[in-house]
Amino acid sequence: MKGKKGRLLIILFFLLPFLLTLASLSIGRYHIPPADLGKTLVRTVLPTSFPGVPPEYRDILLRIRLPRLLLALLAGAALSVSGASLQALFRNPLVNEYILGISFGAAFGAALSLVFLGKGFPPQIAAFLFALGAVLAVLLVSGRAGSHTVSLLLTGVIVSAFFQALLSLIEFFANPYALQSLFFWLMGSLSLATWADLVISLPVMALGTAGLVLMRWRLNVLSLSEEEAAALGVNVRREKLLVIVLTSLSTAAVTAVAGVIGWIGLIVPHLVRMMFGADNRKVVPLSAALGASVLIVADDITRVAASFEIPIGILTSLIGIPFFIFLLGRSRKVWL
Amino acid sequence: MSVEVRSLSFGYGEFRLSVAGLRFESRQVASIVGRNGAGKSTLLKCLGGVLPVPRRSVLVGGRDLAELKSPERARLISYVPQEIAPALNYGVLDFVLMGRAAFVPTFSVPSREDRRLAEEAVGFVGLAGFEDRDFSQLSSGERRLALVARTLAQSPDVFLLDEPTTFLDPRHEVEVMELCRKLAVEKGKTVIVTLHNLEMAVKYSDEMVFLKKGRVAASGPPDGVLSEALLEEVYDIPMAIVPFDGRKLILR
Repeated sequence: MKGKKGRLLIILFFLLPFLLTLASLSIGRYHIPPADLGKTLVRTVLPTSFPGVPPEYRDILLRIRLPRLLLALLAGAALSVSGASLQALFRNPLVNEYILGISFGAAFGAALSLVFLGKGFPPQIAAFLFALGAVLAVLLVSGRAGSHTVSLLLTGVIVSAFFQALLSLIEFFANPYALQSLFFWLMGSLSLATWADLVISLPVMALGTAGLVLMRWRLNVLSLSEEEAAALGVNVRREKLLVIVLTSLSTAAVTAVAGVIGWIGLIVPHLVRMMFGADNRKVVPLSAALGASVLIVADDITRVAASFEIPIGILTSLIGIPFFIFLLGRSRKVWL
Repeated sequence: MSVEVRSLSFGYGEFRLSVAGLRFESRQVASIVGRNGAGKSTLLKCLGGVLPVPRRSVLVGGRDLAELKSPERARLISYVPQEIAPALNYGVLDFVLMGRAAFVPTFSVPSREDRRLAEEAVGFVGLAGFEDRDFSQLSSGERRLALVARTLAQSPDVFLLDEPTTFLDPRHEVEVMELCRKLAVEKGKTVIVTLHNLEMAVKYSDEMVFLKKGRVAASGPPDGVLSEALLEEVYDIPMAIVPFDGRKLILR
């Protein structure tokens, strides 16, 4: 999409997550009228103002909804940007943000904590450490086999399978209660977000995502063959590693606090490419905006659709995939 | 800028490239010829820094190629691959713009000036008006031109073109070779190409290097070095050189 119409659409894309965040603050089991949002905020600062506003609004907004929305905003952006970057880096449309073993590494870490380690070692920390451990294992193993793209992807699949087997082993020995909380974690949810978790994880997501957004044009060059990128003056090994480190940090941070939220990193970048073409200068930042918006809407639905919370990972798949199939037939040629 | 191959050795598997005492000058087109597997592409890739070279083996403008950092090297000398298969369908101008990678910091995007240079390069190779087309819409001849434009935007002093005319129709073949001459004469570049078409090599180059099994069989200006005995030695089949209308036809 080019010209004036395209530019307008881009502006709309970037405004969307912020408009959705505002709207979502009033959505939920406990409805807060939009007009009272501002009043509650003022009341927080000046406790004597707006005596008509119920005092519980403040707690709901600041302690429950705001952290959750911030998490949705950043997690959506982080997962989509990671997916977009890795698809370009590996020159492969099927790659997602978990390809280097993050999902099963994190799941194994969380399982270890939930089933065996108990309260002493929180699942968030265990998931984050094992997610990065899995990526490190992939890098070390594939480094021995040569740094080629195919060997990296293959090692990612193998390391994932290894952690999956370990996860199954833990599930086999787990008691039903621990198993239930593990399953809930595996399906992904933003509902457990507290400020304490977010203080650490949000900056990590922000750092990884910002780094990748800054590298958006470099990703065009890195999407060429290694030989070409080297001829163009890129230190391919170093910059490839840089992209892997940034995507791994942000994806691991999301997975640690929200579980495995599937499909976002695959579908969102593809939707953006179908609309705006292949240039990563557009694809990466627009994926951040669209990913954030999608996750906010998905989380709104989990909060209001049923009397219980639908796991968000299931929802992103159920909504994303049909929409993706709908667009697939009518898009321009993006991948060669 | 001159390129001096002092003593270069590179091998994988059974094959070993072993070349010494070659010199390529600016404002000249040099062509490297020889059979498939003789080491032509390997030599170009070594010169372009795509394959690693030992210290003090290749000097570019008097500087040791092995000591140069990637972006620095890419501003002096650039390898242009034979066939490329981009994974993503970029627009022609976006594709050519990637030639500026050595000038744009890792965490940054190209400037207006980078874009202007890319546009200029697109015009120089004769692809003006194709800027917004997708790469997939180009013919293989146009792709080859886009590739040269990308290298032009990179503005190295030395161009290393790997079989730039293979699979092209006669008209595009001539167009690409004319472009090589233009780069040498108008822009003062050092142009080194690998070729299979011997008549093109004779017609368009100032220097020829004959490679056989990783070694230099002969080198020098086409008029001085070309002989039927040399051709038979290099290609292992008899060939005849027939003068025609002031040119040399090579019959096999």
